[in-house]
Amino acid sequence: MPGWPEKRVQIGARAKRVDAPAKVAGAAKYSSDVQPEAWLYGMILRSKWPRAKVTRINLEKASQAPGIKAALAVREGERTVRYYGEELAAVAGTSKQACQDALRLIEVDATPLPFVVREDEAREESSPRVWDNAPNLARFKVVEKGDVDKAFSECPTVVEGFYTTPVALHNPMETHGNTVAWTDEGVTAWSSTQAIFGVRDALAGNLKVPQNQVRVICEYMGGGFGSKLTAGAESGIAARLSKAAKAPVKLMLTRFDEALAVGNRPSTFQKIRLGASADGKLQALELENYGTPGIGSGGVTEGASGDVGVPAPFIYRVPNSRVKQASVAVNAGSSRPFRAPSHPPASFGMESILDELAVKLKMDPLELRLKNDPSEVRRKEYQLGAERFGWKENYKAPGSSPGPVKTGVGCAGSTWWGGGGKGTQVEAQVNPDGSVEVRCGTQDLGTGTRTVITLVAAEMLGLKPEQILVRIGDTRFPPSGGSGGSTTAPSVSPAVYDACTKALDELQKQTGVADARGENWAGACKKLGVNPLVVTGQFQPGLSGGGVGGVQFAEVEVDTNTGFVKVKKITCVQDCGLVVSKLTCESQANGGIIMGIGYALYEERIMDRRSGVVLNPNFETYKLPTLADMPEIDLVLFEMPERGVIGIGEPVTIPTAAAIANAVANALGVRVNSLPITPARVLAALGKDKLSTT
Amino acid sequence: MKPFQYVTATSPGSAQELAGDQGRYLAGGIDLLGEMKEHIAEPKILVNIKSLPGLDKIEPGAKAWTIGANVTVAALESHEGLKKTFPALAQAAAEVGSQQIRNVATAGGNLAQHSRCWYYRHRDIRCLKKGGETCYARTGENKYHSLFTGNTCISPAVSNLAVALAAFEATVIIQRGNKHVPMTIPELYAKAWDNPTSHNSLEPGDLILKVEVPAQPRRSAYVQLSEKAAFDWALVSCAVSAQVEGNKLRLARVVLGAVANVPYQAQAANDFLEGKVLDDAVADKAADLILEKAQGHSHNAYKAPIARALIRQALMRLKG
Repeated sequence: MPGWPEKRVQIGARAKRVDAPAKVAGAAKYSSDVQPEAWLYGMILRSKWPRAKVTRINLEKASQAPGIKAALAVREGERTVRYYGEELAAVAGTSKQACQDALRLIEVDATPLPFVVREDEAREESSPRVWDNAPNLARFKVVEKGDVDKAFSECPTVVEGFYTTPVALHNPMETHGNTVAWTDEGVTAWSSTQAIFGVRDALAGNLKVPQNQVRVICEYMGGGFGSKLTAGAESGIAARLSKAAKAPVKLMLTRFDEALAVGNRPSTFQKIRLGASADGKLQALELENYGTPGIGSGGVTEGASGDVGVPAPFIYRVPNSRVKQASVAVNAGSSRPFRAPSHPPASFGMESILDELAVKLKMDPLELRLKNDPSEVRRKEYQLGAERFGWKENYKAPGSSPGPVKTGVGCAGSTWWGGGGKGTQVEAQVNPDGSVEVRCGTQDLGTGTRTVITLVAAEMLGLKPEQILVRIGDTRFPPSGGSGGSTTAPSVSPAVYDACTKALDELQKQTGVADARGENWAGACKKLGVNPLVVTGQFQPGLSGGGVGGVQFAEVEVDTNTGFVKVKKITCVQDCGLVVSKLTCESQANGGIIMGIGYALYEERIMDRRSGVVLNPNFETYKLPTLADMPEIDLVLFEMPERGVIGIGEPVTIPTAAAIANAVANALGVRVNSLPITPARVLAALGKDKLSTT
Repeated sequence: MKPFQYVTATSPGSAQELAGDQGRYLAGGIDLLGEMKEHIAEPKILVNIKSLPGLDKIEPGAKAWTIGANVTVAALESHEGLKKTFPALAQAAAEVGSQQIRNVATAGGNLAQHSRCWYYRHRDIRCLKKGGETCYARTGENKYHSLFTGNTCISPAVSNLAVALAAFEATVIIQRGNKHVPMTIPELYAKAWDNPTSHNSLEPGDLILKVEVPAQPRRSAYVQLSEKAAFDWALVSCAVSAQVEGNKLRLARVVLGAVANVPYQAQAANDFLEGKVLDDAVADKAADLILEKAQGHSHNAYKAPIARALIRQALMRLKG
């Protein structure tokens, strides 16, 4: 069984990101920076109807427009479009303006059909159907354990609540898109993706080109958060435009497009009942939840990212539980996995009702968690976090903070798998001059994969990071899986370990140097002669772990006159196994917390029920937090090296919104049951959202 | 956007001539370019007015200060003398957009900017303000919309500067044909109150040259509340100004922003404050008077308590 070195020099160091200089200087090439010879712009025409029968698409005028080299319909023949923004046609041309002008020349004959965009309306049998052959509301799936009704009847304390979370948009800084060249030799796609091999296989399948003739490259990318795990419509469209125009086509989506057609986090509407014994032990739970994954439902696909169900009772154990969940289709873009799918809403619902229970039991909510949380790791983290956060000193009875600006505190826990696997392979090449190249067909979403690989390789070879060159993001390198589920670091690190261990063994065997590491390295490599040493490593079990626990504490200030919420402090204690790259690990945690703050207070896709459009397809009204909204973040990496490398990209964002919501409820003495917690909702919870005071 | 001609004007007269009926003036471009990209505005000609001489100055005067139309919002925010004399104006400027936006946005552009209503700004919605049949916001998503209107459109005026300038009873000087036409802030927006398709009272070709702010000593304050702490529109804003003699208010003005298609005032509230000594009860009474005719819609009644809180906050700052 392999194991990480006991004494580590590089692993766990606060090393700088290896690609920071390239990014800061603008030398790092993203998909939108790639400019192959004679490239064209590509652009998509989207449906202006939330639902319509499209009978004819006339491209004649568009294809003859100045600068236009190709125009195509996304699908042949009659079709039904099911949301505002669905792809209809596309053009490629010599300038952005030429494409924009041409799109306006495409004639689309369509018969508008009735549609529905709101979850509560869509679930009514009388609403227009998104899919003709199935009701919008899928059948509730029921999971039952124990004797729920009996257990409730025996519980001295029962609380009930209704909690809702919005559809949220991924909005990565780099929009979705790619530059694709399709020639007789094959297809090359510079794609902004979380899964280069996934995109390769999808493109090969869609275009009917052998996989060995499709190359996908993603050297750098600007975030995806789960929305770039699959080849989107823009990949196939760009390829077809490229073939038709006989030139590479760059098709990057706009911010407007991002709100419509490339995924989102499903909404949830959670009705929860929770019963406990007098000492606060959880005994019975009933949860009924529905939400929308957009058109990806209605009994057809059960939601593009799986169904919209949340894990219940989340991180707790309740001996008797009845959980009923269903998805409801609406005429809006499909959901996609979004940073810890289904976990942030699960955390918001369950941690909210738990605090309601604490209120009713007149118990400190932290104490209630320590009593009920089955995870020993989280219980330790709660104790450590409470100490640092000053929970004892800061926790007061709900609503008891004096004055109009009230302070409150709250906490919440999380879990996530985050383990490794997926058959990652890594190639290590040792050159006679002592330089090392490590190659892997993984990708760096901006999280620091290159740095992680560099540090592991440097550690295993006894070298300095600057002696290692890491090449990733190309399907010509040995395969690795998609970067989703917080699996990249725990999948790639063991394979790098294996490749470098084998390379060192082989180098020592070939050259007769007993220990080629460190200062002996150059001499040993010289003895290789003219041929570099190339070794392939595999993922090895035992070097990574999963199933993390994490906890967060939030302190907020709420102005009861204006409803404005200010997060003052977040304390995060995150179980993260063996930390490879401390700075990028901390960066992940900060990013997760920031995203959680956005989910708690600002972000919500707003649909218009009359026109069926997304009303806030921009950063002006789809509100994202800025630096001015940031609290003090106190971060503790709860390291357990014996567990191996664990991914933490997702767990760190799970409990933030729940902790903030609990802190707001603690400040106010009443609960805001819906995210995001806006001034309007705070004032409504206080009963102040009235025109007059009388 | 639709192709357009681009020319640079050297004088207000030439600017007007070049713009004609089909042109628009380009200063910071923050508002206009957004409308053009969404095909909400399709001017045939863009007249660059950034080079017009003398319009980029803040000039103190014994009777009135003059602020050129091309003075950037960032300059208003950071002008030391202005911060001292008209704190509400500097504070209103500081809350506009982001630093990057304030660096290029101009005083004239801020006053002349169009509605930010998300129905109006949507490329595929033809709402009442764009000459369509109905106001979608009235029965739709109206959490950012008005509590007061003189017509059917409920999109609010969102210029921060207008709210502060109204409190100072400033005058905007417009070049209309050969004439310089002075307009008070209420006059500058009166047409938007009456007419759903208007954003202000400017006519095609009208060019804002400068703003004159009476120099009489007043205390003033501007406060706004947004959903975010920075780089966000006001849900409600409030500017107040008054002379304070002894403890008593004279010539007090209370103006609300983002609650009406004009910077909103109530004569009754201003009259009520005359001669009053400020305390919570007086502030609340003023708030009641200004909000008396408020009309809520499905999602915006919460703006009323925010307005109340901001009126109190702003008035209390006058105590000094």
